[in-house]
Amino acid sequence: MAQQLNTAGLKLAKLLKLQVGSISETIEKEGQTLFGGSNNLLGSDEITDFCIEFLQLLVALLESKDPHDDASPQFHALEMYFNNLSKQILVRGGRVEDLVRYIQFMQRTLIEALSNDKRVTVEDARAMLLFLSSLFNELILAVFQAYLDEKERTVNAQEAELRETATPITEIWDGVLTLPIIGTLDSSRTMLVMEALLNRIAKDHASAVVIDLTGVKNIDSQVSHHLIQMVRAVQLMGSDAIITGIRPEIARALISLNIDLSNVTTRASLSDGLKEAFRRMDIHVSGKVA
Amino acid sequence: MAIPGLHLTQIGSSDFLLEPLRNLNIRDQDRLLENITSRLQQARAYDSARASARSGSESFRASRLYYDLAEQALIDPVYYAWLDTLARTVRAINVEMICIHMRPTAAYALAQFMRELPAFETALDISGWKRSGQ
Repeated sequence: MAQQLNTAGLKLAKLLKLQVGSISETIEKEGQTLFGGSNNLLGSDEITDFCIEFLQLLVALLESKDPHDDASPQFHALEMYFNNLSKQILVRGGRVEDLVRYIQFMQRTLIEALSNDKRVTVEDARAMLLFLSSLFNELILAVFQAYLDEKERTVNAQEAELRETATPITEIWDGVLTLPIIGTLDSSRTMLVMEALLNRIAKDHASAVVIDLTGVKNIDSQVSHHLIQMVRAVQLMGSDAIITGIRPEIARALISLNIDLSNVTTRASLSDGLKEAFRRMDIHVSGKVA
Repeated sequence: MAIPGLHLTQIGSSDFLLEPLRNLNIRDQDRLLENITSRLQQARAYDSARASARSGSESFRASRLYYDLAEQALIDPVYYAWLDTLARTVRAINVEMICIHMRPTAAYALAQFMRELPAFETALDISGWKRSGQ
């Protein structure tokens, strides 16, 4: 059976070489319709290059020792070719459905080319169809893998951006960090803020951190504990933590929740917090007299 | 005499840097505490005698023991108990313990389970320590 498949592969390669012009033209035309022109996903030259490269790689696979070996370098090259093509199209805003349709179109074109040749026997045709079907299934899987990778990358990038904007830690002076917290604090966000803050202290070697809660609307028991843990962790790293802008509602909530603020330095406003940080670091800011 | 699992270096006139090594076995706590306190006392006695011979007066400033946590990625309750005991022990001989270079992961873990203030102080590094003079 394997021998028969190898022979069929060689015959298919021969057939492809004979009809390379028409096959290339057909798949190129479809490529132009799906990705070129007004779709503006690939340039005309790019589509031509992709078609030629695809046929070259396919012929190389068919002429390899075992075209069914999905661990062969030829198979891997073809898989990578589709993976890269998918990434390129998806990054430019293309749809995965169009890519899959294009791959199915390629398969159909090859099968039609096969049926046009009268010298192909029924056994050879069967072996070739089996081969093409399993090969293109694998290629569609490679496209979906690229699609999933791309989606994951996008989601990760968005998450990172969200994290970055949710925790705008700024070094306002040498060794003084400010962290204004805006919106609602929940446990997961507090954890993210704490992680980012501690890493930043280590990176910038910050001596003081001013955490401003002016923009925090409400706070619950769990979050207030996390907040105290954050202050404690900052102090354990050897920095001073100053909490500023505690609104009356937050202050009342903290007291009713029995949160011990005796070891936490608090100041009314961000500017008071900064003054306190400067005082501790023995920094004097004075206005220039004209 | 070297202390197994620890590297104790005198820095300045009466301060010390304690660097735990990879082979530190904190289950052998009693022996470690004895070794450390004895080394600290010996060094201080020598310094004190030298200062006294030079100026005729002794210095009574509390010494500092800087415990370097740079290699400690995580502090669990067992390790915290070791640090706390060490800090209390050296305090008995007028030495203040300051943990330096605590890593974010260690600070995060420690803040999770710590219920009261530790017996040791913390600082970013040796030069970052400023509160002792206050």
